[in-house]
Amino acid sequence: MTNATSPTPIAGPILVARALCKSYDDGRVQALRGVDLSIDAGEYVAITGASGSGKSTLLHLLGGLDTATSGEVLFRNQALGTAVNLDTYRSRDVGFIFQAFYLLPTLRAFENVQVAMLAAKGSANHRAERAEALLVEMGLKDRIRHFPNELSAGERQRVAIARALANNPTILLADEPTGNLDSVNTARILEILARIQAERGMTLIVVTHEIEIANAAPRHVRMRDGLRIEG
Amino acid sequence: MASQLSFAGFAWKNLWRRRLRTLLTLCGIGMAIGAFVGLVGFSRALEREWMRMYSSSGTDIAVIQQSFLGTTMDESAGDKLRTLPMVAGTAPVIFNMMDLTSDVNALAFGWKADSYDLDSLQMLSGRRFREGQPEAMLGDLLADNLKKKVGDTLDLQGSTFTVVGIYKGGSALEAGAILLPLDEMQQIGSLQGKVSTIHVRLKPTPPGESSDAYLKRAEAAIEAALPGLRAVPAAERASNNQFVVLAHASAWGTSSIALLIGILGIANTMAMSVFERTREIGILRALGWKQWQVMALIQLEAMVLGLAGGIVGIVVGFAGLHLLAHLPQTASIVSANVPAALVAEALGIAILAGLLAGALPAWRGARLSPVEALAHD
Repeated sequence: MTNATSPTPIAGPILVARALCKSYDDGRVQALRGVDLSIDAGEYVAITGASGSGKSTLLHLLGGLDTATSGEVLFRNQALGTAVNLDTYRSRDVGFIFQAFYLLPTLRAFENVQVAMLAAKGSANHRAERAEALLVEMGLKDRIRHFPNELSAGERQRVAIARALANNPTILLADEPTGNLDSVNTARILEILARIQAERGMTLIVVTHEIEIANAAPRHVRMRDGLRIEG
Repeated sequence: MASQLSFAGFAWKNLWRRRLRTLLTLCGIGMAIGAFVGLVGFSRALEREWMRMYSSSGTDIAVIQQSFLGTTMDESAGDKLRTLPMVAGTAPVIFNMMDLTSDVNALAFGWKADSYDLDSLQMLSGRRFREGQPEAMLGDLLADNLKKKVGDTLDLQGSTFTVVGIYKGGSALEAGAILLPLDEMQQIGSLQGKVSTIHVRLKPTPPGESSDAYLKRAEAAIEAALPGLRAVPAAERASNNQFVVLAHASAWGTSSIALLIGILGIANTMAMSVFERTREIGILRALGWKQWQVMALIQLEAMVLGLAGGIVGIVVGFAGLHLLAHLPQTASIVSANVPAALVAEALGIAILAGLLAGALPAWRGARLSPVEALAHD
């Protein structure tokens, strides 16, 4: 376990979205239309909505993968993209989990976890040890040297979770993390995410269109047509 | 503990995953560097051997026509040169490439029978030629190629010459050359009374004067005594005679074209690689890789391609030189020796070619938006 190195949750909002707008195609498509949202440190939040509601776009902006057309995202009261460098933010403060796993096919499981740490400072020994510890924690001790195509969908997502945790982030962002999984693996992944959030005191934001998954989170934010309508 | 993944290891895996394309790219840059090593190696060896020829004979200055249009001068200029106080000896020379057989060509020199140039040659068999006689001396390498020995004859430009001596030259050029009496050479070339150059050997440097200053003073004195002619230090002449200049120019010209093709090959490989890996670049950016780190990864891959291609090219170039050094047509002017400086230069050019070729794909890859790159199919 890695609790010894986990960040201590700070009281108060860790992420704040202010009047967040995002449009594409020269404004013809408005994915977000002025979203305000505040998420506390250590909070577990589910964001739901129909396809095209803007939930994934919101997650991308909260995670610094994209920039808003207008409005801002504050991380610990500092604006992303100006006061906080987005690359540094993504490598140090957030971890991503995607529906399609996005593992690098030529790298083995332990290498896929280490590749996230290549962006940050740290010795090669530390990277290898941490990758192994995280994969063991995910129950993949016997799959460490396997390539992604040799793993089941559930195992791939667990490698992706280990990778997301590699740089010990304070925020974990999951975009439809169980979208490609069967019910058994869905339950297992949700259990892992909930345990990680509880043990590490991490802020966990899960985007999903499945209401059962959203119900597992203490807080539920609903999106419709680029607007936050509830939560 | 699981193995460690390094930045370089990651780059290597990216190249290894598309082995055939990597191999073909290596072949392209390898051929380009091979052409560079072979051609530039050849031209530099030619220059080096020319210098060795001057050094072994003790020539300090070569007197040539000042105008680039004039390739010959009056032989009588040698008489004036010998009146200069610092001149110890002169050796008028005609040289040119000559087809000896349909397969073998060689440098042919016309020397006076009493030329000091002949003193540096070690006779292996026979004797020196005599002026006014259709006699020839062969370097040992050329004699081997022609399978000639003393007493055999050679037909040159319609005249029959008897091989009277086989010598060991002070340089590969001499070892692969044929020496004829100056007057016979003038007759073959319809150059009666004319020479290509006059080699000058100076008296020892006077006490209290540096050798450089002495050489410069001698050059000035010669040019003052012989208007229209140029006195060129032997080292300079070794690098700017028409054979070496032509060899350098063609070597660099051909190598540059080959290198350009090699660079385009790497650039194409890297551009395709970046395109195919757009989503992977998006993943790396999502994981916090900075733009410069993505650029560095792509550039490292391009540099490894260049370096590996450079190593292949050096082997190819060396093999090519080795082959040329053993072919009768080229043995007289090609040395299989590849100096360390040329190897270092070839590797430097190969790495630079890789970096240059990878620059644009790396820049484009690094500028990809993470979200757009992740959405790429």
